[in-house]
Amino acid sequence: MVVAAHPLAVEAGLEMLRRGGNAVDGAIATAAALNAAEPFASGIGGGGFMIIHLAREKRTTVINFREKAPHLASPRMFKDKGEEEKEWRTSSGLAVAVPGALAGWDLALRKYGTRTLAEGLAGAIAIAEQGFTVSPTFSSINKDEYERLVKNLPEGSSYLNEGLPYEPGDRFRNPDLARTLRLIAAGGVKEFYQGEIGRKLVVAVQAKGGIMTAEDLASYKAIELEPLQGTYKDITILTAPPPASGGLHLIQFLNVIERWPVRTWGRNSVPYVHHLSEALRFIFADRERYLGDPGFVLVPVHWLISRDYAAGVVSRVRDDRPLESYPYAEYKQKEKDAANTTHLCVLDGDGNIVALTQSINDFFGTGIVPEGTGFLLNDHMDDFAVNEQSVNAPGPGHRPVSSMGPLILFKSGKPFLALGSPGGTRIFSSLTQIVLNVTEFGMSLDQAIEAPRFFSFSAGGKPGPIAVEARFPEEVITALRAMGQEVEVREAFDKYFGGAQGIMVLRDKKIIHGGADSRRDGVGAGL
Amino acid sequence: MKNGVFVSFIVFGLLVGILIIPGLGQETAGIFEQPLLITSAGQNAEVQIAAVLAKRAGLNYTLSKQATAADLENMKTLVLVLGASLKGLGAAGLDMGKERERVIALIAAAQKAQVPLLCLHLGGEVRRGQQTDDLIAEVLPLAKMVIVVKSGNGDRFFTKLCQPKNIPLVEVEKTADVQIPLQKAFK
Repeated sequence: MVVAAHPLAVEAGLEMLRRGGNAVDGAIATAAALNAAEPFASGIGGGGFMIIHLAREKRTTVINFREKAPHLASPRMFKDKGEEEKEWRTSSGLAVAVPGALAGWDLALRKYGTRTLAEGLAGAIAIAEQGFTVSPTFSSINKDEYERLVKNLPEGSSYLNEGLPYEPGDRFRNPDLARTLRLIAAGGVKEFYQGEIGRKLVVAVQAKGGIMTAEDLASYKAIELEPLQGTYKDITILTAPPPASGGLHLIQFLNVIERWPVRTWGRNSVPYVHHLSEALRFIFADRERYLGDPGFVLVPVHWLISRDYAAGVVSRVRDDRPLESYPYAEYKQKEKDAANTTHLCVLDGDGNIVALTQSINDFFGTGIVPEGTGFLLNDHMDDFAVNEQSVNAPGPGHRPVSSMGPLILFKSGKPFLALGSPGGTRIFSSLTQIVLNVTEFGMSLDQAIEAPRFFSFSAGGKPGPIAVEARFPEEVITALRAMGQEVEVREAFDKYFGGAQGIMVLRDKKIIHGGADSRRDGVGAGL
Repeated sequence: MKNGVFVSFIVFGLLVGILIIPGLGQETAGIFEQPLLITSAGQNAEVQIAAVLAKRAGLNYTLSKQATAADLENMKTLVLVLGASLKGLGAAGLDMGKERERVIALIAAAQKAQVPLLCLHLGGEVRRGQQTDDLIAEVLPLAKMVIVVKSGNGDRFFTKLCQPKNIPLVEVEKTADVQIPLQKAFK
């Protein structure tokens, strides 16, 4: 089974499974196909994390292919831009971190796959060449990011339709991307990291004020890591460790929630939303205070996911009203905080599972496309902290903290749920709600994903509003406001809260469920 | 409008997917003067598209996403691109209340300076919603002409607001089609 954010990407993954590929082969085929079919969210100009469960070995591993800062990066590199800092962080060459996607896909295939990278890219090449009909999701995102695209895209780029955004129903083709992927298929990842494609990449970045060099690109390596482990009741959670923060915060959050009678309160009831929002405000402070690249800073992971930590949060939350202050941290919700990024899950016939989240950060990344290559460059340097004193300040070779959190959940040692989502800083909150919908409220995976979501945070020690989807009952919103909570009502199915994809295995019923999010163009299918 | 011009515009419009829904005696060509000030009502992304369409139409325009009364100086037409974007509002550091205040004050200044209002809704169905509709209901009756992308008027929301006030409403199939009626609307 394959679930992903675009039906053509799902088909590419399924085709790989049909040809005898395993879950890793299928995941890479799907990930590459997303570059062609959902190019605004991820691609070879970006990076991500994947968690792989190998059924026969009963082993789970993580591949970190998060982008890295160029070696000339420094803590004040954006601060020194003054009032134009925001533009430099998101829409310039300086915003581009060294891409890791191809290195990560290649590492996964070489260590755990059964097919070549060329085979993994075949589906993506076909999609890019043949094109597809633009969906309302693609069109609305293309319109939303139009200003940046006009600023950075070369004349005649595929990412605009004769200089204007695509409308639903238009045909989108990307022959330049097809050509680029063919070169990589023929010559391997060195075509990207050390060859002509890489040269064009560096030229494009530097032409827009960036500092990336050919050496930065040539020295990039994806790395394999032990997964981070947590529990919720009888469930074991395995996820990507820092600099991914999504899984870590999900474990923290569930540790807190485990101490509350959430089933008695009821899903999305007033006490449920109030208490969980209060916990989110504590966890957000941790994100800003402690999370950085563990290759360079000490992240107190074991303390953060300890029961003692959870007990401390529970003891401070009041039942009747929000607190007046929370631990101080400088979290600043991004002004353009969209539900960028993408997630996919693949399960093969042998029980191998991959949950993979990848991104180019903001939709359409920086909007910079190296000449004639057809792929968009990320703006993941924006994931470094604004404060140059932060543990997540930019530094040479540092990987910025990511909100991604691909997960595999186990019961009695056997995987029962693979899950992940885009959605920026809402990722761990949305994933936690989905896990609770399944485990506490008995929902099917699809129901759990589609159910209305909420989110909150703290910044500077003060509470942020509780954002809720418009499907929340008015009486719940009114009661939360009466408690002193500020509530912000968003769209009924709002991309802000992510676009989760998951696969659930119900062993006792011999059923496999795929869950895909209608907040994006998600779809799941099996053989 | 002279009858000959009106008929030829309808024929051309049918060819490119433009539908004019005028009332009696309404005109949709040559009714505005240049230069024009383009701003958004709701900090939507379509304001940038409107500017590109105005440029392609050869119009003398100024784009200011958060225009105020001071920006109206020397302007002969105010173009409001309608549609609330939470993302755009966030990027501008605004909420809908503040944005509404700015837009209403701008329209009031335009009326005082006898600068007519042309409203555009380019975002289609996805750029509707409670906040957008509330603002549209407030400002649309003050417009001299309205151009909308058809999918945004699927429930005839714009039609219902325009007809009682005899405001000419031009519907187009796609955003790119806005260029023609926009160009023709100006002298």
